[in-house]
Amino acid sequence: MPQQPDDSVENIRMLTESASAVVPGDGSLDRIRAARFQHPGFSRDVWMTLAEMGWLGLRLGEEKGGLALGVHEAMALSRIFGAGLVPEPFLSSLFALSLMEAAKARNWIGSALHGETIVAPAWQSVPNALDPAGGVSVKAGRLHGAKVAVAAGADVFAVTTPEGLALVPCDADGLTIKRMRMHDGTFREDLHFDAIPCEIHECEKVQDCLYEAMLLHAGFLQGTAERAFDITLEYLRLRKQFDAPIGSFQALQHRATEIKVQLELSRAAIDAAASALDGGQTERLSMAILRARSRAGGLGRLVAREAAQMHGAIGFTDEADIGLFVRKLMVEAGQFAPEYQLRAQFMSLREAAA
Amino acid sequence: MTNPPFIADHPPHPDFNAMSDDAFRAVVRDFVENHYPDIPRFAQRRLRWPEVRPWYGVLAQKGWIAPTWPRELGGMGLGAGKHLVLIEEFERFGCARVHDIGTVMLGPLLMEYGTQAQRDHYLPRILRGEDIWAQGYSEPGAGSDLAALRTTAELDGDHWVISGQKTWVTLGADANMAFVLARTDKAAKKQAGISFLLVPTDATGVTVRPIENLEGHAEFCEIFFDAVRIPKANIVGEVNRGWTMAKALLGHERVFIGAPRLSANALSRLEALARGNGAWEDPVFRDRFAGLAMDLADLGDLFETYVQRLRTGASIGADVGILKIFQSELYQRISEELMQVAGSHAGIKLEEGGDSRFDAAGTYLAARPTTIFGGSTEVMRNVLARASLNLPK
Ligand SMILES: Cc1cc2nc3c(=O)[nH]c(=O)nc-3n(C[C@H](O)[C@H](O)[C@H](O)COP(=O)(O)OP(=O)(O)OC[C@H]3O[C@@H](n4cnc5c(N)ncnc54)[C@H](O)[C@@H]3O)c2cc1C
Repeated sequence: MPQQPDDSVENIRMLTESASAVVPGDGSLDRIRAARFQHPGFSRDVWMTLAEMGWLGLRLGEEKGGLALGVHEAMALSRIFGAGLVPEPFLSSLFALSLMEAAKARNWIGSALHGETIVAPAWQSVPNALDPAGGVSVKAGRLHGAKVAVAAGADVFAVTTPEGLALVPCDADGLTIKRMRMHDGTFREDLHFDAIPCEIHECEKVQDCLYEAMLLHAGFLQGTAERAFDITLEYLRLRKQFDAPIGSFQALQHRATEIKVQLELSRAAIDAAASALDGGQTERLSMAILRARSRAGGLGRLVAREAAQMHGAIGFTDEADIGLFVRKLMVEAGQFAPEYQLRAQFMSLREAAA
Repeated sequence: MTNPPFIADHPPHPDFNAMSDDAFRAVVRDFVENHYPDIPRFAQRRLRWPEVRPWYGVLAQKGWIAPTWPRELGGMGLGAGKHLVLIEEFERFGCARVHDIGTVMLGPLLMEYGTQAQRDHYLPRILRGEDIWAQGYSEPGAGSDLAALRTTAELDGDHWVISGQKTWVTLGADANMAFVLARTDKAAKKQAGISFLLVPTDATGVTVRPIENLEGHAEFCEIFFDAVRIPKANIVGEVNRGWTMAKALLGHERVFIGAPRLSANALSRLEALARGNGAWEDPVFRDRFAGLAMDLADLGDLFETYVQRLRTGASIGADVGILKIFQSELYQRISEELMQVAGSHAGIKLEEGGDSRFDAAGTYLAARPTTIFGGSTEVMRNVLARASLNLPK
């Protein structure tokens, strides 16, 4: 794996330390449990903390008030947030801000960095495709169409259109929002735009922003999966049946080691893609990201299935923490696009590169 | 809890088995379409007793609450094939599942091992909806290793005195009766000292605590027994001989879970979802769908073979595990495909009363415990390896 520069390593150490402002060091999930199923499913106070730490501007240029840190740094936080089941729409905010920066849309960036305005990307038009230009059209300066599965609780939507980026406030006339609750206790929204007047900001880097967001999300998934795996290993050591810890049964040992294999592959693929991105490498970058995200998606699904199975009935209760992880993985594994779509995309890029 | 009785009010049943499948199907369809009460269809969770009671009543009055019981005991006397038709029609219409532990588990057990007095007392009460039963086997320390159970029952004059705890009791809060495995001989070897007891859940000393599940429903329960006294007669079979009967019941449960209906339902959801969101046209998806559809059809064939064997009175033995393992894992694979196809909508939690026909996450969650209850997949594979393949321990 390419070496990370020293200052990146130091940044990551500092970020990891300060992350305890949001993710308790003792691993407590009390806040997470309590915030579930109450709109918007996260805490605006915690959001202000994220802003004060400067994390919302992690990837933004300094001239815009950002920290201009690398993908590796953002990845470190993403993994920690995944392990801590953080419900605040941190990753979608980074995505939205990168779109806004790329489109030179100056409105709202400042207030978004200060935490006053939450911006969510509205990029997907059907729930299983990578189609940022899909679902909407702009006619005579008005936005028509629909986007799906947008993070809830946003004040402004950054809508990707065939013409560029449109910023639509959540109270715009002609905007219909269908709110959906998710099994992990968060909410998402399907949006419908009916002739909403809007300014279009040309943006050539939508794909780049989308792929970076996908990669960071792979880290989030890996963080969630890894902690769920740790909890499961702990249970395998503790739980006794037939006068032995269930972790002593080979049937379970072999499956646990398979998770370990997938976890290591996932970590390596994610870190390599992050290094490529930070190093400015463009060749095969998209393929590396698709690979990383696909691996992490598969890992998430594997861990959800095995964690539930290896816990027996207790894993099917709301009381046991492992259930929080299973439901988070259920919700997150399908974000962006399911693995079979990522693989299809990978194949078309592979053909093109050959 | 007292449940006022439903009284059967219908002419004697014809021999349904003598009808053609199509003719019987038409009878069932007509009945369901005209008599299903005003309660939810395609519910995404088990309905609770007050919610499902009207449907239980309709079935009880029609004499259809116990499809597989013999006609002379108040059942429909259906053979396995006709029973499948009945289930298919109920599910096609989206009928709620009634509380069926009494008809599916306890009834057949009493017919085989109960005394005449027990049969005369309990069977009609099940048919009339007066007794709703729950299964009290598992304990916090006794899951896969059921024989490690620690709940005890001691004889004190004319009563058994029960102390201990059961857990994961499905719909326990709706039941007024539970059948409970308890240790009646502490000195005996694990399996040898266990008895099968019938316990009213409103007896003094019984506490029922609901447990919320992953779907957010309080469907299963813990039940605590604090020196609960029940009449000495409330034992099925002989003292210390409960284990064999308990295992026999698990055999029934495994055929039940091994039936293709859960996977069939999930596959039709997958088709509906894929047709709705474009995946249906995708050749890659179609390939995976075809694999699942073939698995389901093969499972149907295997199920039929086993059911034929049961019909002729032969036993299936440990091989019944094959059905249960394959069905439950297929159900899970289909549910995971549903999650893939649903993409970023996969985690949606249906609103109360929502239509479950496109519910990916609900199906995914419902499929989880089928590889755990009624014998976990892992433990059943262990049993198969030894009992069916004769591999050494
Ligand atoms: C939804 C639901 C409803 C239920 N309803 C009822 C009910 O109505 N009445 C009732 O009595 N019980 C009920 N149960 C309990 C069920 O019977 C138990 O969950 C089951 O017996 C498994 O026990 P456990 O949960 O303690 O898991 P454990 O036995 O602790 O098993 C944990 C994991 O270890 C694995 N394992 C255990 N032993 C071995 C081994 N030797 N080799 C390899 N792997 C092994 C298991 O397969 C499982 O994956 C229900 C359970 C669920 C989930």
